[in-house]
Parts: sequence; structure tokens; C-alpha cells
Amino acid sequence: MWPPKKGNHSGLPLPLRPHMQKQITQQNLNILLDSLIKEGIRVVAPHMNGGTPLYEPLTCSADMNTGQLPRRSAKEAFFPVCEDIMTYEKEGQKVTVTDIDPVRFPETVLVGVRPCDAAAIPVLDAVFSWDYKDEFFLERRRKTTIIGLACTTADDACFCTAVGLSPAETKGSDLFLTPLVGGGYVCETYSDKGEQLITNHKELFSDTGGAKTLPLAQPETGKIDLKKVKAWLDEHFEDPLWDGIATRCVGCGACAFVCPACHCFDIVDEGTEKAGTRRKNWDACGFWKFTHHASGHNPRDGQPKRYRNRIMHKFKYYDDKFGQTLCSGCGRCVRVCPVGIDIKAIIDTILNSEC
Amino acid sequence: MTQPIDTSIYAAITEAIQAEAHRILAEGEVTAIVGYAAARRKGSAQPIIITDAADSVKLIFTPACVNNLAVYLTKAKKDIPKNGKIGIVVKGCDLKALSGLMGESQLKREELYLIGVPCAGVLASTVCPDQELTGDSIAPKCTECDAHLPTGCDFVPAETLVTPELERKYAVEIARLEALTPAERWVYWKEQFAKCIKCYACRQVCPFCFCEQCLCDRNKPQMVDTTPRPAGNTAWHIVRAMHLAGRCAGCAECERVCPMDIPLNLLNRKMAKELKELYNHEAGFEVLDKGPLNMFTEKDDQSFIK
Repeated sequence: MWPPKKGNHSGLPLPLRPHMQKQITQQNLNILLDSLIKEGIRVVAPHMNGGTPLYEPLTCSADMNTGQLPRRSAKEAFFPVCEDIMTYEKEGQKVTVTDIDPVRFPETVLVGVRPCDAAAIPVLDAVFSWDYKDEFFLERRRKTTIIGLACTTADDACFCTAVGLSPAETKGSDLFLTPLVGGGYVCETYSDKGEQLITNHKELFSDTGGAKTLPLAQPETGKIDLKKVKAWLDEHFEDPLWDGIATRCVGCGACAFVCPACHCFDIVDEGTEKAGTRRKNWDACGFWKFTHHASGHNPRDGQPKRYRNRIMHKFKYYDDKFGQTLCSGCGRCVRVCPVGIDIKAIIDTILNSEC
Repeated sequence: MTQPIDTSIYAAITEAIQAEAHRILAEGEVTAIVGYAAARRKGSAQPIIITDAADSVKLIFTPACVNNLAVYLTKAKKDIPKNGKIGIVVKGCDLKALSGLMGESQLKREELYLIGVPCAGVLASTVCPDQELTGDSIAPKCTECDAHLPTGCDFVPAETLVTPELERKYAVEIARLEALTPAERWVYWKEQFAKCIKCYACRQVCPFCFCEQCLCDRNKPQMVDTTPRPAGNTAWHIVRAMHLAGRCAGCAECERVCPMDIPLNLLNRKMAKELKELYNHEAGFEVLDKGPLNMFTEKDDQSFIK
């Protein structure tokens, strides 16, 4: 229904405040993950794939590597790069269409999730559950327990603090780990799911003994006034600023694809006349083809107009629709942009513009 | 191999670029200049287009000036003003792309004002832009550079380069791959292509990907599967490599920008090696009307016809 109601309408439980605080050693965390894997639960964690850090299913806890922010965000645990949504077969005049049943999705524990990634997941709940309930996303959400991990390092592309989050942000996490001096973690629960996980493996956890936590990262950026950014965007759909910042944009999808909050997708049929698969795969508003009409007309006929949509969607449209900001300050787009477009610098430019 | 690379002349180059940019804009010799400017993060740089002489102080040259700015002069970039003569800051590798574009009738020499940069090398990646240029952090293409000093430009700062001998990173890797069996090599490339997420950053930064509608963006018929799966990924990367054979001069922008770390320039360098062996052709050194794959001569090797 339009307009959608703001707030939580995904049917997923809202995170609660911590009601359990425990401690776990690194060794016991590994035992926990290995026993989950053994139980047949899909354990997804940061992992080095060649030289590239990615969130991927583990076969063994030792493969977890939380040293670097994964190149792509954790959204793909719910919204994969590409997934089948149905298959078809044609024999003579008979066409058989088979849906993919989301019930088959495995129980998952997503562990070592950075606060910027975890915080973006409940933001995505809003869009995947307002007019159409996207069961591919929502069923994975129901079946996944998220174990967040506080950040002890940050670089100058990180700006979670600018969008109101922090290296200790627990939003989106069912269970949250903060590293301790000398190894191990403080472990806080933020939902029934998180509590259940501890209860099921309580022998691996101990009461907190007052051990000191490691100093957390301190991104250099101060909090920005998101209301002021939105107020400017409300009035400046047409503005010379867009040409100034985005003429350099080359129109790839790198920023959107590494983003924890971008969620546009395309649906295509691939196969032959006889048999094939309908697939859902990531799309990006930076692409020329994204708004290209069948008539040949393209309402976003230049790159600055496409880039404007990226900023508008993150800081205005999503706020208009759902009362939330579609950016968690992970800095990935800043790091991967081929031409050095820096979303934080753009927000600063907007805040500093006079009118 | 953490040998430091001397980039001390880059400050003087920056000053010379600024002065020349100011002069040509103020005197009306060009209408716009495509160059590099500092960005927010420490040590970072980004492409900039200036049209006012007063903005020439924004232009810089540092090891983070990685982009091949030639892409902004192609017809793929319709947003750049192309009325009048345009100035462009070019490294030797970027200049090779411009030569190719002139040969393909995409640009005219007389419409450009080339500000050449004596270049000892740039960074392989600008994920962390604030780092020293060393034998480790340098772009692999720079270890094999044969154009540190661009030739045939309108202006080149008179600075003397020191360019140490470095291990040729692509040559080493290509030799390793050539020593594999075809089956082993296929395993390697299958793994690499599997990483592709079809963001098309490689295509969008390539000066030679100026097709107004890429084959991969057509859907009547759908020549290449659009989803990031093995069939479409492999088709895309093979199409890309073949379409660039004999044209790519090795700016390696495709490889630098790949967010999934696919070593794309290896394909381009291997193609270049084949072209050198078969036709004694090297892209980018002169403006040619037709590359070797665009023409037939009776002397061409025809032994493949059986």
C-alpha cells in the first residue's frame, strides 16, 4: 500500500536491548562454529578467497578471517549476487513452471559481521517487506542469526560515525562480540535468537569476569546532520552541483555492488525455448541501461542524473518512504570507485553549500 | 622487493602542469582541461575537468593519479564538453590509448592539447591512497613501462626521471600461465571469472570500450547472459579480451578497478604478446589507420587454414 507505513512491518522481531552478557574465548568460538557446521547449519563469515576478503560459507572455523572488512557487504547472505527464482520446461504444448521454494533455505549463522554491515540489514527489511513480501530475502532473514563484531580498526574511508552509527553499533546483530585484551570476546545478546544460540551452547560461554575490551576504532568523521542533507536534497533535484561531482562518474556498478544497502535487482530469463531459469541479479542505478525505456528514451540521459539518483535514494527517497537512511558509512564505495568519487566528500559539499 | 621509487619530481611536475594549464586556459588555447585533483582522503586524487584558468591550481600529479583520462574523451562520455580544443594530462601509457583512438577516428590530434607527464610510476591500487610508491605498491604495468617519458606532446615538464629496473610482473605471471596445460589454465581462468559480479567497471574505464551500445547490453538477441554466472561471465571476459586484441596498449585500468581482483590485464598482455609475435605489432606507438586484425595482406600467415 502506498504510502508505506514507516517503521518495522517485516514481521521480523525488533532487536531488544542486551539482556545477557557473557564471555567466550577464541577457541570456544571456533568450537561453537565447528559444531554448528557439523549440525548442518550454514556458517557464513569473512574469509580470504584468494587475496580477496568475502563473506562466504565456511567448511571449518579456522577459515574465518576477520582481519579485513570483506570486499562485498553481508547483504548477500540474504540477497545473493544472483539467485534462481523459478525454472520452466516446455515439452510440446505443455509448459511446466517450478518455483524455488524458500523453505529450502538453510538455517544460517552469519558471524564476524561488521557493525556497518549488520546495521544495514534491518534497513533492508523495510524495502523487502512493504508492498511485496520478498520471501527470498525474508525467509533467509528468519533463518539467520547474526553475530556482529565490533571494529578495532578503521581507515579514512570509514564514516559510520558520520551517519549515526559506530564501531560498537549493535543494530542488526542478534549477538554482538567485542574483542578482549589478550583474546576472546564479550558477547551480548540483542534478540531471542541470540539468546537461544548461547543457551544451546552454554558450556562454551562463561560469565564476564571484568576483562578489558580492546580499544575500538575511532573513525575520523564526526556525526553529520542527515536532516540538513535531506532538506537540501528536497529542494535541489536540479542543481549545478550534480554536474560538478558526477561528470567524472564512468557509469559502472561497483559502488552499488559493494554497498551494504543498495538493493536494486534485475530479473531475467536465461535458457532456451525448451527449458530455462528465471533469475534475480544485482542491478545498479549507475548503469545507462538501468532506466533505458523500450522506446529508446532514457529519462536519466546523463551520468550526473544517474549519480544524483544514488544520493537521492540514500539520503532522501528512502527517508521519505521508510524514515531511514540507506547508508551505513562502510566506505566501500569510496574505496572501490574507479574515479575516486567519495560519497562522504559529497555529503560534506552538500552541507557546506550555501543555499 | 620494497625498493623505494623516487617520485620527488612529482611536486615540480605539479607546478609545471598548473602553470601551463593556467596559460592555455587564460589564452583561450583550450576550452577545458582534463586532469587530476586532490580529493578528501589523505593522498587521494580524482579526475577533474576545469574550464576556468583560476582552477588550474587544483591540478596535481602524484602516485595516486592512476586514471587513464583518455576515457573522458571518448564518445562513451557524453557529459564532457567537447566544443573546442581540449587539454588533457597524460602519462605515457595514457598517451598510447589516445594514439589508438586517433587511429580509430575517434579523436583528432589537432583538437587536443597534450600535457605529457614524465612518470616514474603510479600506485597499483588507491584503496589506501596515502602510501609510498615502492617496488611492492607500484602498478604492475609500471614495472614493464616503455613510455616513462611521453613523446609527441604539446608540453612536457622538463624534469629528469629516475626509473629503477623492476621485476616485470606481467611477464613473470604470463610465463607461469603459459607453462600450465590448457586444462590447468582453464581451471585458473574459471576461478577468476567466477569472481566477476558484472559491475562492468572494467568496461566503463576502458578507453577502447566506446561502443555506444555494448554487445552485453543488447537483448534482441541476448548475445551474452547478463547474470554473474559462469556462462555470462566467461563470455563477457572473452569478448572483452578479443575485442581489445591489437588495440589495448596496456593502461591496465580494467585490472586496477576490478573490485573482485580479477587479473584482467593478463588477458590483454597475452593478446598483445600474440600480436607482437604474429604481426610484429605493438599498439599505441603510432597512429595507424588499421590495426593488424582489421586488414588482410597476402603475406599474412595462413597456416591455420587446413
